[in-house]
This record gives sequence, C-alpha cells and structure tokens, in this order.
Amino acid sequence: MHLLLVGISHKTAPVELRERLDFHARGLGESVRQLTGRGSAREAVIVSTCNRAELYVACDEIDATRDDLTRFLSEFHALPASRVTPHVYGQPDLDAARHLFRVAAGLDSLVMGEPQILGQVKQAHTAAADAHTAGPILNRLFHSSFAVGKRVRTETGLGSGAVSVSYAAVSLARKIFGDLSGRNVVVIGAGEMGKLTARHMKSQGVRYITIVSRTMANAARTAEAIGGARATPWEDLDGALGASDIVITATGAASPILTRAHVDRVMRPRRNRPLFIIDIAMPRDVEPAAGEIEQVFLYNIDDLQATVRENLARRASEVTRAEGIVGQEVEKFGTWLRAREAVPTVVALREHFETIRRAELERLDFKLSALPPEARARVDEITHLIVEKLLLTPTEQLKVLSDGETITAYSEALSRLFGLTDAASQESPGTDSSRRVTPFNRSKSGPSR
Amino acid sequence: MSAIPLALYVAAFIAYAWHFARRDAPAGRAATTVLVAAALVHTFVIGMQTMEVGHIPVASTTSAISSFVWLLALSYLYIEMTTDERAMGVFILPLLAALQAIPALHPGVEDRSGVLRSPLFGIHVSSLLFAYASFAVACVIGITYVLLFKEIKAKQLGFFYARLPSLQVLDAMNQRAIVIGWIFLTIGMIVGAVWAARAQGYAPGDPRVQAMSLQDPKIFVALVCWAVYSFELFAARRIGWGGRRAAYLSALGFAIVLLNFVPISYFLTKSHNF
Repeated sequence: MHLLLVGISHKTAPVELRERLDFHARGLGESVRQLTGRGSAREAVIVSTCNRAELYVACDEIDATRDDLTRFLSEFHALPASRVTPHVYGQPDLDAARHLFRVAAGLDSLVMGEPQILGQVKQAHTAAADAHTAGPILNRLFHSSFAVGKRVRTETGLGSGAVSVSYAAVSLARKIFGDLSGRNVVVIGAGEMGKLTARHMKSQGVRYITIVSRTMANAARTAEAIGGARATPWEDLDGALGASDIVITATGAASPILTRAHVDRVMRPRRNRPLFIIDIAMPRDVEPAAGEIEQVFLYNIDDLQATVRENLARRASEVTRAEGIVGQEVEKFGTWLRAREAVPTVVALREHFETIRRAELERLDFKLSALPPEARARVDEITHLIVEKLLLTPTEQLKVLSDGETITAYSEALSRLFGLTDAASQESPGTDSSRRVTPFNRSKSGPSR
Repeated sequence: MSAIPLALYVAAFIAYAWHFARRDAPAGRAATTVLVAAALVHTFVIGMQTMEVGHIPVASTTSAISSFVWLLALSYLYIEMTTDERAMGVFILPLLAALQAIPALHPGVEDRSGVLRSPLFGIHVSSLLFAYASFAVACVIGITYVLLFKEIKAKQLGFFYARLPSLQVLDAMNQRAIVIGWIFLTIGMIVGAVWAARAQGYAPGDPRVQAMSLQDPKIFVALVCWAVYSFELFAARRIGWGGRRAAYLSALGFAIVLLNFVPISYFLTKSHNF
C-alpha cells in the first residue's frame, strides 16, 4: 500500500486556478466520496483552502493513481486537463507525509506559521472520516499531522508575533490595555483606511468606536457603515480624545492634525491614563514629538511595518527547528507504516495455520464424535491454543521489523516456506475480492519515484 | 534546617528562569511545583521552630527574615494562581533565595525577652511582615512594568513584550499590592506605637524600650517608608502618577524597606535588636 499526494498550491498555481479548484462549493464530503468512487484510491482525504487543493490517498499503484487523481482534479471542476496538469505536483509515500506535516505546521503557507491551516487540515480529515473515505493509514497520517502542528506551535516561535499591520496594531493595543472590549477607540478621518481599521477593531471585540471627521456627514455615514459606531463633529475632537484610549488617525491632511502641544493638552485632564495613537495616514497626521509625552504610545505605519518585518524574520529563524520536528514525526510515521507492511503476512500466516487446524479437526471428526461435547470443546480449545503459541513469536518478530527490505525478505521467506500465496488481504474501507493483493509481489507493482 | 527551603528556592528560581527564557510550559509547571514544595517545607520548618520555642519565631531579626520569605512565597503563589501568570517568578525568586540565605547561613537564636510577651507584639510583627511581602511583590511588578513600558515606548518589541502581561494588568496588580501593603504597614506601626507606650509602663528599665522614639533609625526609616507609599497612593489617585512613576516609587519604597529590614535591624537600631 502506498501513500500518494496530488495537488496544487500557491507555489505552483495562480490564484485564478486555485479559485476554480476549490472543493468547498460542492462539499468536502461529497467530493471525497466521488474521488474514492473512481476506484484508484482505497482511502482519500481532500485538503482544500484558498491557497491549496490537495488530494491525499492510500493506493496500490502509484503511477496509475497519480494520473487518475490529476484527471479527477480537472474533471471534477470541469476544466480542461491542459489547464490543470502543468501546475500539479505529486509526492509518493513518506514525501507525501512530509508534505502534509509541513502544511499542518504552517511551513508551506503563504504567511509562514499562520495558524488557520491546522484547523483546515482537521476539517478536511473530519469531512473524510464522516464520508468513510479515511481508513487506517490516512487516519494515522492526519492524526500525526495534528501532532506536528501542535508541537511546532508550542515548541517553536514559528507562529508567534503579528505578521500584518492591523494585527500588529491590535496586539500592541492588547499589550498596553489588556482586554479591549471596554476601551474607547476614536477614529479620525472617515476615509476608506479609517473605515477598514475601525472594522478590524470591532471584529477584535472593541465596543465603543467614535468617528470624527471634518465633514460630519462623512463621519455619520462611516459610523453607520461600521454599525454600532458613533459620529462626532470636528469641534468635539478634544472631548472625544479626552475620553479615548486608542486613537487611529487616517485623514488625508497635508500637515499634522495633532501636534505635541495638542496631545499634551488632551492628556492633562486624562490624569495620564495611557493613550495609544496609531497614525496610519500618509503623510503623517500626528507630530512624532507627541510620542515623547509620558503615557503616550505613538506608532505610525512605518513602525508597525517594522514590527511586522521583525516578526517575519523571527518566524523565519524558527523554520529550522520546525523542520526538525517535521523530520522526527515523518520518521515515526515511516516506522509505523513499514511495520504495517508486515500485517498482510501476519494475517496470511494466521489464516494458513487456522485452515490447517480446522482441516485436521474435520479429518479426525469421526474419531472425536465418540467424545462427549465438553471434551470436544476442550480439544478445539487446546488445538487453538497450540496454534496461538506457535505463532506468537513469529508475529511479534514481524511486527517489530522496521526496515522495508527486511520485511519484504521475511515475507517472501514465509510465503515460500508455508506456501502462502493468495490468502493475504489488506484491510481498508470497502475491501472487496477484486482488490485483494498479495503482499509479496509488491516489488513489481510499485517502484517509488 | 533553613537550608532545605533555600535549596528549593534556588531550584525553583532556575526553573522559573528557564521557563521565562525559553517559554517552556513544562518548565513553568515544574517551577511552580518546586516552589510549592519549598513553601511547604518552609512551613514545616517554621512550624518546628514554633513548637521548639513555644511561639511563632519572629522575635529575632533572622527568624523574622525567614518568616518574611515564607509570607512572600505564599503571596507570590497566590498571585500566580489567581492570575495564571508565571512571568513574575523569575524576578521574585532571587529575592526569596537571597533573603533565605541569611537564616540558612546564620541561624539566629530565637530568644524572646520578657518585654515581647504581649499579643500586641505578635500583631505588630506579623502585619509588618505581611506589608513588606506586599511591597516586595509591588516592587517586582513595578520593575517588570518599566521593562515592558520601555520596550513599547522605544518601539523595540522583543523579549519582555513576548513574555509579560499587559501594562494595564501590571499597573492594576502593582496598585493592589501597594494598597494591601499600606494598610498592613499602617496597622503594624500603630500597634507598635501602642505597645511601645505600654512597655514604658511595665519594663521601663529596658534600654531598648527607652530607645523607642523617632530618633531611632528603624522607627524613623519606617515612617519615611510609610510617607513614600502614602504619597504613591495619593499621587496615583489625585495627580495621575500611575504607570511608570508609580512603578519607580514602588521600587524606591521597597529599597527603603529592605534597608530597614536587613542592615538597619542588624547594625544600627537600638530599639529593635531583640
């Protein structure tokens, strides 16, 4: 059994194509059911986000399945194959596992270390589990990927620090004021930037937002657009500032609208309650010297961008540690996967012994028929125990083997010695007789690339 | 016997430092566990001394320091449990370890002289020790406030920014600790004055009782201390001296407390050398 990944991501495909390959429109569960319905994959999970569409499957034939999955990507979304195929990448076996682990850790994301992806990977797995298309291999693979995501988040700084200007502003505000819900935010300027920032503050739990603009009508319109915000005329600016905790300036004024003296005047009746001023206007709305006032924290757009850059650099420096964790988990998963290769042999061996036992019991039936039923039950039990005892050590030995070649060699030896040819079957959802494969000719079937 | 709590405090400090530097959650839990163990052992030690001498060992300066360390450890643990915030441990623990070194290295003789056999004396000492523990906590919170304030003000968001709670939380915790400390300081000083006045009556010959006046350095510095904290409380409420100024004042106040508590008690005072 092989693991295979086929997909596209922001690294290989433009946004127009990624949009077309979104699986959410028709439901992840329905999509993944259609995928396994094609018969090339035994298990399947579809990870679909705005930055990637990836099919993770367990299959028998790598090459054939890879081609079929590529066709599925274009056929399912009704796109010509020539538009999709050039952007598709495929990864077999442990490379596929490594890829998923890197995705879950946020190492493959557009913004390094972003946390949403882990939730999306979990969602993908849940959808597949509900659709009964995820079997033992993909279940194990995805649970390992959740563990990777969690370890990377707690053991490295890959996800720490705000990496967008608006989040940097919010995280600063939280570091100054703690909880933001009871804080007063004043937005000066009713333009698009001011509106966006006010919306962002609102989505972060801020309840009191006041819009101040030179034109009261603009302020009122913006306040209404945001919903729940108040508009205040320009003449009441000082009053609004006096009651505020966070001030966002975003006007198009050519010269500063808040001078140091002005801020000083506003600060006095506030009894030095801290004031956080975020100046996102270009050119600046607030005189830089205002930031020297005790208890005034002044950040302009450049300062925020600088902290974002620092955070990005810090995240980049954590990549090595995160990759180390991914490596360890790939190793663990590989060990588990290889140990699983012995499972069909174990099953075949047990079935073989059980068949012999039953055949012998039947053959001796005429001799045993004279015995009372309890004694016959004892015979059955004893023979069963003997078989179990005989198989105990070989089974354990097979299960602890971790390197693929040894497992193949052992399996071949066992199949020759005991004549196990077609008894092995691999468990998977929807196993049927046509899918039965012998584990011993796998060297012919699946050369990994 | 005081050496075992000392060793545990040092171990807890190492764990807190590791937790702070590496942001390692298991190290943080280990640090708290070790500190809880230290506080328990310390409780046991103080309990044994109480059994031995028949009263809580606070009469000699050395044993008062040990009791102070114990109270401070408990206060810090209370704050950590209620705020779920471990960042402060790395600042408190060195103080605990340094002060505990005194009783560990020089176990004083707990010999309560006759003058001290009054319930007022117990109230006096225990409320002052509790006040000092609160001031120690306030001082540490103040220091961390200033560290974080400087980072945000200088737009260099780094080490402390990633590790400390918000300025608002630190300021509120600092104020709360100062209020509690101030109340106990006031109680302790009033009770001390009442008791000293009574002692003039029943032990007038004792030179220490005679020295109990404002000229005695220990009493004088305690009053200075009270003045500093009273001003801080007034300034924070009336003239907006919150934040950084309050933080500096709480550091200054605790420096005076330490001065009064260790060198003055050992070398200078004539009234409090029991």
